[in-house]
Amino acid sequence: MAENPFPLGRDQLLAAYRTMRTIREFEERLHVDFSRGDIPGFVHLYAGEEASAAGIMMHLTDKDRIASTHRGHGHCIAKGVDVKAMMGEIYGKVTGSCRGKGGSMHIADLDKGMMGANGILGAGAPLACGAGLAAKFRGDGGVGVSFVGDGASNQGMFLESLNLAAVWNLPVVFVVENNGYAESTSVEWAVAVDSYVDRAAGFGLPGVTVDGTDFFAVHEAAGEIVARAREGGGPALLECKMCRFYGHFEGDAQTYRGAGEVEDLRANRDCIKIFAQRVTETGVIRPAELTAIDREVLDLIEQAVAEAKAAPLPTAADLLTDVYVSY
Amino acid sequence: MTSIEPRPLVGIIANPVSARDIRRVIANATSLQITDRANIVLRVLASLRACGVERVVMMPENGGIRGHVHRGLQRAANRGEATFPGLEYLDMPVTGTVGDTRRAARMMRDVGVRALIVLGGDGTHRAVVAACRELPIAGISTGTNNAFPEHREPTVTGLAVGLAVTGRIPPAVAFAPNKLLEVEVGGSHHDVALVDVAIVAERYVGARALWRTESFRELFVTFADPEVIGMSAIAGLLAPRGAREPGGVHVALAPLERAPLCIHAPIAPGMIRAVGVEHYAEMPADRPFGLSTPAGSIALDGEREIAFDDGREVSITLRENAFRTVDVSACMRHAARHGSLVGADALRGSTDSITKEEE
Repeated sequence: MAENPFPLGRDQLLAAYRTMRTIREFEERLHVDFSRGDIPGFVHLYAGEEASAAGIMMHLTDKDRIASTHRGHGHCIAKGVDVKAMMGEIYGKVTGSCRGKGGSMHIADLDKGMMGANGILGAGAPLACGAGLAAKFRGDGGVGVSFVGDGASNQGMFLESLNLAAVWNLPVVFVVENNGYAESTSVEWAVAVDSYVDRAAGFGLPGVTVDGTDFFAVHEAAGEIVARAREGGGPALLECKMCRFYGHFEGDAQTYRGAGEVEDLRANRDCIKIFAQRVTETGVIRPAELTAIDREVLDLIEQAVAEAKAAPLPTAADLLTDVYVSY
Repeated sequence: MTSIEPRPLVGIIANPVSARDIRRVIANATSLQITDRANIVLRVLASLRACGVERVVMMPENGGIRGHVHRGLQRAANRGEATFPGLEYLDMPVTGTVGDTRRAARMMRDVGVRALIVLGGDGTHRAVVAACRELPIAGISTGTNNAFPEHREPTVTGLAVGLAVTGRIPPAVAFAPNKLLEVEVGGSHHDVALVDVAIVAERYVGARALWRTESFRELFVTFADPEVIGMSAIAGLLAPRGAREPGGVHVALAPLERAPLCIHAPIAPGMIRAVGVEHYAEMPADRPFGLSTPAGSIALDGEREIAFDDGREVSITLRENAFRTVDVSACMRHAARHGSLVGADALRGSTDSITKEEE
């Protein structure tokens, strides 16, 4: 076996690949099932952006809490939420993470530190501040991580959260997943401060931009930023420049994209392909090991869909359950 | 008295994404905001116009500089002021990658610019020179380590370039030769470095910056200035060598516990680290240096760029007189000595009426 030149061990490399591959297959399957009309509600797919979720979440444990977005499946999977429960939730079945009453944009699993996908743009940022404040009070070294897209980064809630996190010196990491489009509007038209590092600096936070299609770049930068937050260094912003393989939502005709744009992204900027090539060309991981993971992941997704389809829907009697929690 | 170049064209490449890497977090490095970069461009433009430069061509970018510059130009136009030269943009697609800088540098050469003003760090300047060694460049530091571009108020850089391209400064004074390092991987030309090539044990590019001193293995520098930060500071504090002196410096590095010598060097902003040194020696020009490190990454001007494994031959060669820079200090001293800016009419009128003194 070749000497490992990477900052992660073989097991971690394989785990990172499994996470990214699981996200990809999950999303590819949803793309097919949604187009067939099998899935109620709305879905926004994370395919193409996997290196961000995987690279960041490898530095987090269950005590660290994340607040996700409308495009949250990748964050859920990377944070350890059960894939079958996720699929059940998206299919609206009682076996789902939220008993089928939330759907794609409300998947949550507090035991895993996943505070929820979120249908309100930018609304995860103040939740991450709350998680950071709680961790600070507890002194447990936990961090809160807020994910937003380039579009949601223009929301007042997000900007207020940057301010709050800076004022209270919270252990919070703001991740801007910049896929270039706020729905159909190019980031070049819609973001007044074109650099997210500048935007962070405006609130007194350091910011870092990385190539979000490079797992190792995300992983290394996120490691430093998360460690800084744990050590009391305060909040920081990480911008991952990445690409979205599908539309804003499933069914989006994507007339705003250039001819051949997606094909080019899939051919040249696929974070999973790039990762697989790097780890196999060094001989640290054998291609067959990745192929085996591919098969296992496909089986898992197949089972998840079959179980979700077979599971019962919630009934009218479930309507008023799980609405309020007593402390 | 001879008349000088009519309507000289000056180029500007302003990188909107320099100074955005992990050193903001690991080393408290500066974040130079887009508006500051745009303001630098406006200050340079004002200097160029003051010297009689009427045409400037810029690299287009979508990072935000263009919009802010446009506001500045628009306001001046609305007030009827001729503060700035006419500004055009190269007709090229914007990809938001280093490829834009490279393409723009070549296009600048092809459209006949007389000098190229570059806003960026060591990496941006490297990209310009890698693509085009013919144009004299004037560097303005908007990066992180900035060992290559000098630290100076851009207004003065703009004046020096303006004086040089309008012929008020003789070329022999205005432009200075520079060294660079050529990197070959597997027998073919790979890239260049303007300041340093560092070999580190990490075999992945990742977040690019260098800060884990235990992984440092070798260092090649074109010049070794004890007043700069970054990898070249290691050589600068061991064996200073000027940018205009012949030859460079090669330093063999090792983990501290294995090294006979320890040096404390500012390897990044605010980051002074103990670095183990095995030995160091002069690096003569035009002689390829092989590596004693079997595998690792090659960092060019402070950023990991390519990982290499056993069996991939890497060689580093120092070249002298490889490209020219505008010698701002020499330009301004010449201007002062010759009274280039003295008198009510010193900078008046178009370049057609400008004459220069015979040397």
